[in-house]
Amino acid sequence: MEGISYQRFPKIRIREMKDDYLKFDLTDTDASMANALRRVMIAEVPTIAIDLVEIEVNSSVLNDEFIAHRLGLIPLTSDFAMGMRFSRDCDSCDGDGQCEYCSVEFHLNVRCDSDQTLDVTSADLRSTDPHVVPVDVAARALSTDPASFDSDQRGIIIVKLRRGQELRLRAIARKGIGKDHAKWSPAATVTFMYEPEIHINEDLMETLTLEEKRNWVESSPTKVFDIDPNTQQVMVVDPEAYTYDEEVIKKAEAMGKPGLVEIYAKEDSFIFTVESTGAIKASQLVINAIEVLRQKLDAVRMQDAEADFKEFSEHMGV
Amino acid sequence: MDPQPEPTSYICGDCGAENTLKPGDVIQCRECGYRILYKKRTRRVVQYEAR
Repeated sequence: MEGISYQRFPKIRIREMKDDYLKFDLTDTDASMANALRRVMIAEVPTIAIDLVEIEVNSSVLNDEFIAHRLGLIPLTSDFAMGMRFSRDCDSCDGDGQCEYCSVEFHLNVRCDSDQTLDVTSADLRSTDPHVVPVDVAARALSTDPASFDSDQRGIIIVKLRRGQELRLRAIARKGIGKDHAKWSPAATVTFMYEPEIHINEDLMETLTLEEKRNWVESSPTKVFDIDPNTQQVMVVDPEAYTYDEEVIKKAEAMGKPGLVEIYAKEDSFIFTVESTGAIKASQLVINAIEVLRQKLDAVRMQDAEADFKEFSEHMGV
Repeated sequence: MDPQPEPTSYICGDCGAENTLKPGDVIQCRECGYRILYKKRTRRVVQYEAR
Protein backbone atom coordinates (compact mmCIF):
# COMPACT_ATOMS: atom_id res chain seq x y z
CA MET A 1 0.00 0.00 0.00
CA GLU A 2 1.87 2.99 -1.30
CA GLY A 3 0.46 6.43 -0.59
CA ILE A 4 0.93 9.71 1.12
CA SER A 5 1.90 9.44 4.74
CA TYR A 6 -0.32 11.25 7.18
CA GLN A 7 2.00 10.53 10.07
CA ARG A 8 2.33 13.37 12.55
CA PHE A 9 4.39 13.79 15.66
CA PRO A 10 2.12 14.96 18.47
CA LYS A 11 3.65 16.85 21.38
CA ILE A 12 2.64 17.09 25.00
CA ARG A 13 3.45 20.06 27.20
CA ILE A 14 2.67 19.71 30.88
CA ARG A 15 1.28 22.81 32.53
CA GLU A 16 0.31 21.71 36.00
CA MET A 17 0.88 18.43 37.78
CA LYS A 18 -0.37 17.12 41.11
CA ASP A 19 -0.89 13.53 42.21
CA ASP A 20 -4.56 13.55 41.30
CA TYR A 21 -4.64 16.38 38.77
CA LEU A 22 -2.89 17.05 35.49
CA LYS A 23 -3.27 19.84 32.96
CA PHE A 24 -1.44 19.57 29.66
CA ASP A 25 -1.43 20.69 26.03
CA LEU A 26 -1.61 18.19 23.23
CA THR A 27 -0.50 19.70 19.94
CA ASP A 28 0.27 18.65 16.34
CA THR A 29 -2.52 16.10 16.13
CA ASP A 30 -6.26 16.05 15.44
CA ALA A 31 -9.50 15.69 17.36
CA SER A 32 -9.77 11.95 16.68
CA MET A 33 -6.51 11.35 18.51
CA ALA A 34 -7.41 13.68 21.38
CA ASN A 35 -10.80 12.03 21.82
CA ALA A 36 -9.34 8.52 21.59
CA LEU A 37 -6.92 9.42 24.36
CA ARG A 38 -9.73 10.85 26.49
CA ARG A 39 -11.92 7.80 26.03
CA VAL A 40 -9.09 5.37 26.75
CA MET A 41 -8.28 7.24 29.98
CA ILE A 42 -11.88 6.94 31.16
CA ALA A 43 -12.78 3.44 30.04
CA GLU A 44 -9.75 1.33 29.19
CA VAL A 45 -6.92 2.00 31.59
CA PRO A 46 -6.98 -0.92 34.04
CA THR A 47 -7.24 -0.61 37.80
CA ILE A 48 -8.00 -2.99 40.64
CA ALA A 49 -11.38 -3.11 42.38
CA ILE A 50 -13.27 -5.54 44.58
CA ASP A 51 -15.27 -7.82 42.28
CA LEU A 52 -16.40 -10.79 44.38
CA VAL A 53 -17.68 -10.73 47.94
CA GLU A 54 -18.26 -13.78 50.12
CA ILE A 55 -20.35 -12.77 53.10
CA GLU A 56 -20.17 -14.99 56.15
CA VAL A 57 -22.13 -12.93 58.64
CA ASN A 58 -24.11 -9.77 58.02
CA SER A 59 -26.49 -8.57 60.69
CA SER A 60 -26.18 -4.92 59.65
CA VAL A 61 -29.09 -2.87 58.35
CA LEU A 62 -27.79 -3.03 54.77
CA ASN A 63 -28.44 -6.17 52.76
CA ASP A 64 -25.66 -8.31 51.35
CA GLU A 65 -25.79 -7.09 47.76
CA PHE A 66 -25.90 -3.47 48.89
CA ILE A 67 -22.67 -3.98 50.89
CA ALA A 68 -21.06 -5.92 48.04
CA HIS A 69 -21.82 -3.04 45.68
CA ARG A 70 -20.40 -0.47 48.09
CA LEU A 71 -17.20 -2.48 48.51
CA GLY A 72 -16.79 -2.64 44.74
CA LEU A 73 -16.86 1.15 44.47
CA ILE A 74 -13.94 1.73 46.88
CA PRO A 75 -10.94 2.90 44.85
CA LEU A 76 -7.84 0.77 45.46
CA THR A 77 -4.22 1.70 44.75
CA SER A 78 -3.54 0.20 41.33
CA ASP A 79 0.06 1.10 40.48
CA PHE A 80 0.75 -2.48 39.45
CA ALA A 81 -2.50 -3.04 37.55
CA MET A 82 -0.85 -2.69 34.12
CA GLY A 83 1.40 -5.68 34.88
CA MET A 84 -1.36 -7.77 36.40
CA ARG A 85 -3.40 -10.39 34.59
CA PHE A 86 -7.11 -10.26 33.93
CA SER A 87 -8.56 -13.19 35.86
CA ARG A 88 -10.19 -14.45 32.64
CA ASP A 89 -6.73 -14.71 31.00
CA CYS A 90 -5.09 -16.21 34.07
CA ASP A 91 -4.28 -19.87 33.58
CA SER A 92 -2.73 -20.49 36.98
CA CYS A 93 -6.02 -20.16 38.85
CA ASP A 94 -9.75 -19.73 38.52
CA GLY A 95 -9.76 -16.19 39.88
CA ASP A 96 -10.82 -17.11 43.40
CA GLY A 97 -8.15 -15.06 45.15
CA GLN A 98 -5.70 -17.91 45.43
CA CYS A 99 -3.43 -16.58 42.72
CA GLU A 100 -1.09 -13.61 43.12
CA TYR A 101 -1.08 -12.78 39.38
CA CYS A 102 -4.69 -11.80 39.03
CA SER A 103 -6.33 -11.24 42.40
CA VAL A 104 -5.93 -9.71 45.83
CA GLU A 105 -7.87 -10.92 48.83
CA PHE A 106 -9.45 -8.66 51.45
CA HIS A 107 -10.94 -9.53 54.80
CA LEU A 108 -13.40 -7.56 56.86
CA ASN A 109 -14.35 -8.64 60.36
CA VAL A 110 -16.13 -6.06 62.49
CA ARG A 111 -18.55 -6.32 65.37
CA CYS A 112 -20.05 -3.53 67.45
CA ASP A 113 -20.03 -4.13 71.20
CA SER A 114 -20.61 -0.62 72.47
CA ASP A 115 -23.64 1.62 72.72
CA GLN A 116 -22.10 4.02 70.25
CA THR A 117 -22.69 3.55 66.54
CA LEU A 118 -19.67 1.95 64.95
CA ASP A 119 -18.61 3.12 61.49
CA VAL A 120 -17.22 0.35 59.33
CA THR A 121 -14.84 2.05 56.91
CA SER A 122 -12.31 1.27 54.21
CA ALA A 123 -9.67 1.40 56.99
CA ASP A 124 -11.18 -1.80 58.46
CA LEU A 125 -10.47 -3.74 55.25
CA ARG A 126 -7.43 -5.97 55.67
CA SER A 127 -5.54 -6.53 52.43
CA THR A 128 -3.31 -9.51 51.71
CA ASP A 129 -1.14 -7.33 49.45
CA PRO A 130 0.40 -4.15 50.91
CA HIS A 131 0.52 -2.62 47.40
CA VAL A 132 -3.24 -2.86 47.00
CA VAL A 133 -5.10 -0.92 49.68
CA PRO A 134 -7.95 1.62 49.68
CA VAL A 135 -6.60 4.92 48.32
CA ASP A 136 -7.56 6.95 51.38
CA VAL A 137 -5.73 4.50 53.64
CA ALA A 138 -2.62 4.77 51.45
CA ALA A 139 -2.83 8.57 51.44
CA ARG A 140 -3.02 8.66 55.22
CA ALA A 141 -0.06 6.29 55.56
CA LEU A 142 2.02 8.53 53.31
CA SER A 143 0.96 11.80 54.91
CA THR A 144 3.56 13.25 57.27
CA ASP A 145 1.01 15.53 58.81
CA PRO A 146 -1.67 13.46 60.54
CA ALA A 147 -3.47 16.62 61.60
CA SER A 148 -4.44 17.25 57.98
CA PHE A 149 -6.94 14.41 58.35
CA ASP A 150 -9.83 15.17 60.63
CA SER A 151 -10.67 12.64 63.27
CA ASP A 152 -14.16 12.27 61.84
CA GLN A 153 -12.73 11.66 58.38
CA ARG A 154 -11.33 8.24 58.99
CA GLY A 155 -12.04 6.38 55.79
CA ILE A 156 -14.81 5.62 53.33
CA ILE A 157 -17.84 4.48 55.32
CA ILE A 158 -19.13 1.10 54.20
CA VAL A 159 -21.90 0.58 56.79
CA LYS A 160 -22.75 1.63 60.34
CA LEU A 161 -23.33 -0.94 63.08
CA ARG A 162 -25.25 -0.72 66.36
CA ARG A 163 -24.68 -2.89 69.43
CA GLY A 164 -24.66 -6.57 68.62
CA GLN A 165 -24.47 -6.17 64.82
CA GLU A 166 -21.66 -7.85 62.97
CA LEU A 167 -20.15 -7.95 59.49
CA ARG A 168 -17.74 -10.67 58.44
CA LEU A 169 -16.68 -11.23 54.84
CA ARG A 170 -13.98 -12.08 52.35
CA ALA A 171 -13.63 -9.98 49.21
CA ILE A 172 -11.63 -10.59 46.07
CA ALA A 173 -10.26 -7.65 44.10
CA ARG A 174 -9.47 -8.10 40.43
CA LYS A 175 -8.03 -6.14 37.57
CA GLY A 176 -10.62 -4.63 35.25
CA ILE A 177 -11.43 -1.70 32.98
CA GLY A 178 -14.01 1.06 33.14
CA LYS A 179 -15.75 -0.32 30.03
CA ASP A 180 -16.82 -3.38 32.04
CA HIS A 181 -17.90 -1.43 35.11
CA ALA A 182 -17.35 2.20 36.12
CA LYS A 183 -15.81 1.08 39.44
CA TRP A 184 -12.67 0.22 37.46
CA SER A 185 -12.35 3.66 35.90
CA PRO A 186 -9.25 5.48 37.18
CA ALA A 187 -10.57 8.82 35.93
CA ALA A 188 -12.81 11.18 37.85
CA THR A 189 -13.02 13.57 34.90
CA VAL A 190 -11.08 13.88 31.68
CA THR A 191 -11.85 16.83 29.43
CA PHE A 192 -10.22 18.58 26.52
CA MET A 193 -10.94 21.85 24.76
CA TYR A 194 -9.70 23.34 21.52
CA GLU A 195 -7.20 26.11 22.11
CA PRO A 196 -8.86 29.36 20.99
CA GLU A 197 -7.20 31.88 18.71
CA ILE A 198 -8.52 35.39 19.38
CA HIS A 199 -7.94 38.27 16.97
CA ILE A 200 -9.11 41.75 17.94
CA ASN A 201 -9.61 44.18 15.08
CA GLU A 202 -7.58 47.00 16.62
CA ASP A 203 -8.66 49.67 14.11
CA LEU A 204 -12.33 48.93 14.65
CA MET A 205 -11.79 48.72 18.40
CA GLU A 206 -10.36 52.23 18.45
CA THR A 207 -13.64 53.59 17.04
CA LEU A 208 -15.26 52.62 20.36
CA THR A 209 -15.51 54.95 23.33
CA LEU A 210 -14.07 53.80 26.65
CA GLU A 211 -17.60 53.22 27.95
CA GLU A 212 -18.43 51.06 24.90
CA LYS A 213 -15.20 49.10 25.37
CA ARG A 214 -16.09 48.47 29.00
CA ASN A 215 -19.58 47.26 28.03
CA TRP A 216 -18.13 44.98 25.41
CA VAL A 217 -15.50 43.52 27.79
CA GLU A 218 -18.22 42.97 30.40
CA SER A 219 -20.42 41.10 27.90
CA SER A 220 -18.19 38.04 28.12
CA PRO A 221 -19.47 35.71 30.87
CA THR A 222 -15.87 34.65 31.61
CA LYS A 223 -12.98 37.06 32.02
CA VAL A 224 -11.30 36.77 28.61
CA PHE A 225 -10.66 40.47 27.89
CA ASP A 226 -9.67 43.48 29.92
CA ILE A 227 -8.81 47.12 29.37
CA ASP A 228 -5.24 48.27 29.78
CA PRO A 229 -5.41 50.97 32.49
CA ASN A 230 -2.62 52.99 30.82
CA THR A 231 -3.39 52.84 27.11
CA GLN A 232 -7.13 52.12 27.50
CA GLN A 233 -6.76 49.44 24.83
CA VAL A 234 -8.72 46.22 24.93
CA MET A 235 -6.45 43.21 25.42
CA VAL A 236 -6.83 39.47 25.76
CA VAL A 237 -5.95 38.46 29.32
CA ASP A 238 -6.96 34.80 29.34
CA PRO A 239 -7.83 33.20 26.00
CA GLU A 240 -8.48 29.83 27.67
CA ALA A 241 -11.25 31.31 29.78
CA TYR A 242 -13.26 31.60 26.55
CA THR A 243 -16.01 28.99 26.53
CA TYR A 244 -17.03 29.38 22.86
CA ASP A 245 -20.21 31.11 24.03
CA GLU A 246 -19.94 33.76 21.23
CA GLU A 247 -21.39 36.40 23.56
CA VAL A 248 -18.70 38.95 22.60
CA ILE A 249 -19.37 38.35 18.90
CA LYS A 250 -23.12 38.87 19.40
CA LYS A 251 -22.41 41.94 21.49
CA ALA A 252 -20.18 43.41 18.76
CA GLU A 253 -22.94 42.84 16.21
CA ALA A 254 -25.50 44.43 18.53
CA MET A 255 -23.22 47.45 18.86
CA GLY A 256 -23.12 47.72 15.07
CA LYS A 257 -19.47 46.65 14.88
CA PRO A 258 -19.43 43.21 13.27
CA GLY A 259 -15.95 41.81 12.88
CA LEU A 260 -14.69 43.53 16.04
CA VAL A 261 -13.25 40.23 17.14
CA GLU A 262 -12.62 36.94 15.38
CA ILE A 263 -12.26 33.76 17.38
CA TYR A 264 -11.18 30.46 15.87
CA ALA A 265 -10.65 27.06 17.48
CA LYS A 266 -7.20 25.72 16.61
CA GLU A 267 -7.93 22.32 15.14
CA ASP A 268 -4.62 20.76 16.12
CA SER A 269 -4.16 22.02 19.66
CA PHE A 270 -5.96 20.73 22.74
CA ILE A 271 -5.92 21.58 26.41
CA PHE A 272 -6.51 18.52 28.59
CA THR A 273 -7.50 18.40 32.22
CA VAL A 274 -7.27 15.00 33.91
CA GLU A 275 -8.50 14.21 37.40
CA SER A 276 -7.73 10.83 38.91
CA THR A 277 -9.69 8.88 41.53
CA GLY A 278 -6.39 8.22 43.26
CA ALA A 279 -6.12 4.62 42.03
CA ILE A 280 -3.14 5.75 39.95
CA LYS A 281 -1.48 9.15 39.65
CA ALA A 282 -2.96 11.44 37.01
CA SER A 283 0.40 11.53 35.20
CA GLN A 284 0.57 7.72 35.22
CA LEU A 285 -3.00 7.62 33.92
CA VAL A 286 -1.94 9.51 30.78
CA ILE A 287 1.14 7.30 30.29
CA ASN A 288 -0.93 4.13 30.74
CA ALA A 289 -3.59 5.46 28.36
CA ILE A 290 -0.98 6.01 25.65
CA GLU A 291 0.34 2.48 26.23
CA VAL A 292 -3.17 0.99 26.01
CA LEU A 293 -3.82 2.96 22.81
CA ARG A 294 -0.53 1.71 21.38
CA GLN A 295 -1.44 -1.91 22.18
CA LYS A 296 -4.80 -1.44 20.45
CA LEU A 297 -3.09 -0.04 17.34
CA ASP A 298 -0.66 -2.96 17.36
CA ALA A 299 -3.63 -5.33 17.39
CA VAL A 300 -5.11 -3.55 14.36
CA ARG A 301 -1.78 -3.67 12.55
CA MET A 302 -1.49 -7.43 13.19
CA GLN A 303 -4.99 -7.96 11.82
CA ASP A 304 -4.12 -5.93 8.72
CA ALA A 305 -0.92 -7.86 8.13
CA GLU A 306 -2.79 -11.16 8.39
CA ALA A 307 -5.56 -10.00 6.06
CA ASP A 308 -3.06 -8.68 3.53
CA PHE A 309 -1.17 -11.94 3.53
CA LYS A 310 -4.39 -13.93 3.06
CA GLU A 311 -5.41 -11.74 0.13
CA PHE A 312 -1.97 -12.12 -1.37
CA SER A 313 -1.95 -15.92 -1.14
CA GLU A 314 -5.46 -16.11 -2.59
CA HIS A 315 -4.36 -13.93 -5.48
CA MET A 316 -1.37 -16.15 -6.11
CA GLY A 317 -3.64 -19.19 -6.08
CA VAL A 318 -1.75 -20.88 -3.27
CA MET B 1 -30.59 -31.85 46.32
CA ASP B 2 -30.86 -32.54 50.02
CA PRO B 3 -31.74 -36.14 50.84
CA GLN B 4 -34.51 -35.01 53.18
CA PRO B 5 -35.73 -31.51 53.78
CA GLU B 6 -34.54 -30.74 57.31
CA PRO B 7 -36.78 -28.58 59.47
CA THR B 8 -35.86 -24.92 59.23
CA SER B 9 -36.09 -22.55 62.14
CA TYR B 10 -38.11 -19.34 62.06
CA ILE B 11 -38.53 -16.44 64.45
CA CYS B 12 -41.96 -15.32 65.57
CA GLY B 13 -42.84 -11.79 64.52
CA ASP B 14 -44.67 -11.12 67.79
CA CYS B 15 -42.97 -12.87 70.72
CA GLY B 16 -39.59 -13.63 69.08
CA ALA B 17 -39.64 -17.30 69.99
CA GLU B 18 -37.80 -19.72 67.75
CA ASN B 19 -40.01 -22.17 65.84
CA THR B 20 -38.99 -25.12 63.72
CA LEU B 21 -41.22 -25.81 60.76
CA LYS B 22 -41.37 -28.75 58.36
CA PRO B 23 -42.99 -28.64 54.93
CA GLY B 24 -46.76 -28.81 55.28
CA ASP B 25 -46.81 -27.43 58.81
CA VAL B 26 -49.23 -24.67 59.74
CA ILE B 27 -47.44 -21.33 59.77
CA GLN B 28 -48.11 -20.34 63.36
CA CYS B 29 -45.98 -19.65 66.41
CA ARG B 30 -46.08 -22.47 68.93
CA GLU B 31 -45.78 -20.05 71.85
CA CYS B 32 -48.24 -17.28 71.07
CA GLY B 33 -50.12 -18.36 67.95
CA TYR B 34 -48.95 -15.40 65.87
CA ARG B 35 -49.06 -16.16 62.16
CA ILE B 36 -46.12 -14.11 60.92
CA LEU B 37 -42.80 -15.95 61.08
CA TYR B 38 -39.43 -14.73 59.83
CA LYS B 39 -36.89 -17.05 58.27
CA LYS B 40 -33.40 -16.95 59.77
CA ARG B 41 -30.37 -16.07 57.73
CA THR B 42 -28.39 -18.98 56.34
CA ARG B 43 -25.26 -19.94 58.21
CA ARG B 44 -23.58 -20.68 54.90
CA VAL B 45 -21.26 -18.23 53.13
CA VAL B 46 -23.04 -16.40 50.34
CA GLN B 47 -21.25 -15.03 47.30
CA TYR B 48 -22.06 -11.81 45.43
CA GLU B 49 -20.61 -9.94 42.49
CA ALA B 50 -19.65 -6.44 43.57
CA ARG B 51 -21.47 -4.75 40.63
